[in-house]
Amino acid sequence: MSILPDVDDILDGHTHVDEVPALGWIDPPGKLVALLDEAGIRQAVVMTYTEYPGYNPQALDYLAQVVGRYPDRLIGFVRVHPWYQEEMPRIIDRALGELGMKGVKLHPVGTLDHPAGPSTLRVLELAAERNAPVLFHCGDEPMTTPLAIAEAARRVPEATVILGHMGGFFHVREAIEVAERLPNVVLETSAMPYPAAIREAVQRIGADRVIYGSDGPGCPPRLEIRKVIAAGLDTEAQRAVLGANMRRLLAAVRA
Amino acid sequence: MIGTVDALAFAGPNLFGPAQTENELLSGPGAAGIDLTVAVTGRPLDYRLEAGNDGVAACAAEHPESVRGLARVDPNRPDAAAELRRCLETLRLSGLFLHPWEEVFQINDPRVGPVLRVAAESGCPVVVAAGHPWVSEPLQIADVACRHPETTFVLTNGGQFNISGLGQTDARLALERAANTVLTTTGVYRQDFIESVVGEFGAHRVMYAGGSPHFDRSYELLRVTEASLPPDDRDMLRAGTARAVFGL
Repeated sequence: MSILPDVDDILDGHTHVDEVPALGWIDPPGKLVALLDEAGIRQAVVMTYTEYPGYNPQALDYLAQVVGRYPDRLIGFVRVHPWYQEEMPRIIDRALGELGMKGVKLHPVGTLDHPAGPSTLRVLELAAERNAPVLFHCGDEPMTTPLAIAEAARRVPEATVILGHMGGFFHVREAIEVAERLPNVVLETSAMPYPAAIREAVQRIGADRVIYGSDGPGCPPRLEIRKVIAAGLDTEAQRAVLGANMRRLLAAVRA
Repeated sequence: MIGTVDALAFAGPNLFGPAQTENELLSGPGAAGIDLTVAVTGRPLDYRLEAGNDGVAACAAEHPESVRGLARVDPNRPDAAAELRRCLETLRLSGLFLHPWEEVFQINDPRVGPVLRVAAESGCPVVVAAGHPWVSEPLQIADVACRHPETTFVLTNGGQFNISGLGQTDARLALERAANTVLTTTGVYRQDFIESVVGEFGAHRVMYAGGSPHFDRSYELLRVTEASLPPDDRDMLRAGTARAVFGL
């Protein structure tokens, strides 16, 4: 049962499974699913911490295995390293086709590939061919700020670009402004610590382009839901943010 | 009495962002279930901190059951040490607050020495707005904490602002390197960072701070109340650590 009595179909738009001893992040799938159960969350988008095929050539098979173990709960987003251009069409094809994944994750801090660089733009084009959303880590670090990612979203307007963390600690205002300017940009709420910013985003760009994510299990899904509740949205907007919007994006993906 | 102590809130005008009136400072905590708030002045629009310190001290004197105050000084100013003495001895404030990002200095720069010596002489804690690049990185604060082992240094925001988690190793190393350092929980990325730091270093090294008005004090309190920690440790984060550090 959800912690929200009138929202029983929550979809967490940003979670992880992976084991990265160097960061102390050991997050097997059972840990995540237990936290989803605790929060009353039916499904979650899940991705690894590491990129495929470099730094982790096992990442895609690992993620497929995890999603296969929880097919009714977890929806895979393949996390790729854009530099592997020659292999990228095949990677996207396999992940979104054969393996049934629904989107792509990019983290420029890890890959050192600028969002507006040709390699990342090619990933966006490949994802857009299948109408699959691309979730960027969007925070305060170089190559991850809203304005940097906006340069990519502007160059590939047919791609759906999700700003994960919606600007982190100090770039939230810019994230909302970018979403105001670019209709293919969606804001995702995980870890960003300001409930009032969720309310402002809904007021300025509409409830249909803001999605709940937790970045769990490190950031607990239940705590992150409480942040959305604290935003004080009306019931309809809350339903949209907590699940309906992401379901709509995922339903549009072509295998 | 444990209750809940908010270890840092900003009061008065703020040149750099949202401001909080005295009324908001006094009324917000009750609604959030906070018993006592440690307050410091924001950066006044005229850049002078003295009036802000006076305002915080007056509020604390009028509401001693719910507000304590910190002195905020600018180490770039030649009279910073004197202002700190005035705040501690005349205004009876409970500690020193330094904001290296807003006042523009590196926390381990020699110019900070005079105010840190006053803090050490008076035995008061030093709260540092932590995690700002180049000026208040956790290892920079640990560096200065090692040079002043008799003083407790409180690092706001878990010691680091980084939503990739890239600052967490430095924050852990700061705790390891300087036993006189304590973290606040405000805005911390990944709850498991808070939980693992408590497990590794002890609950006496972590305290709740709401960080209002920039942060939402009620939501920030949930980081503590929802933490997967033993009840005694949660009580330390809610109030015990702050009471020990600030002598409340």
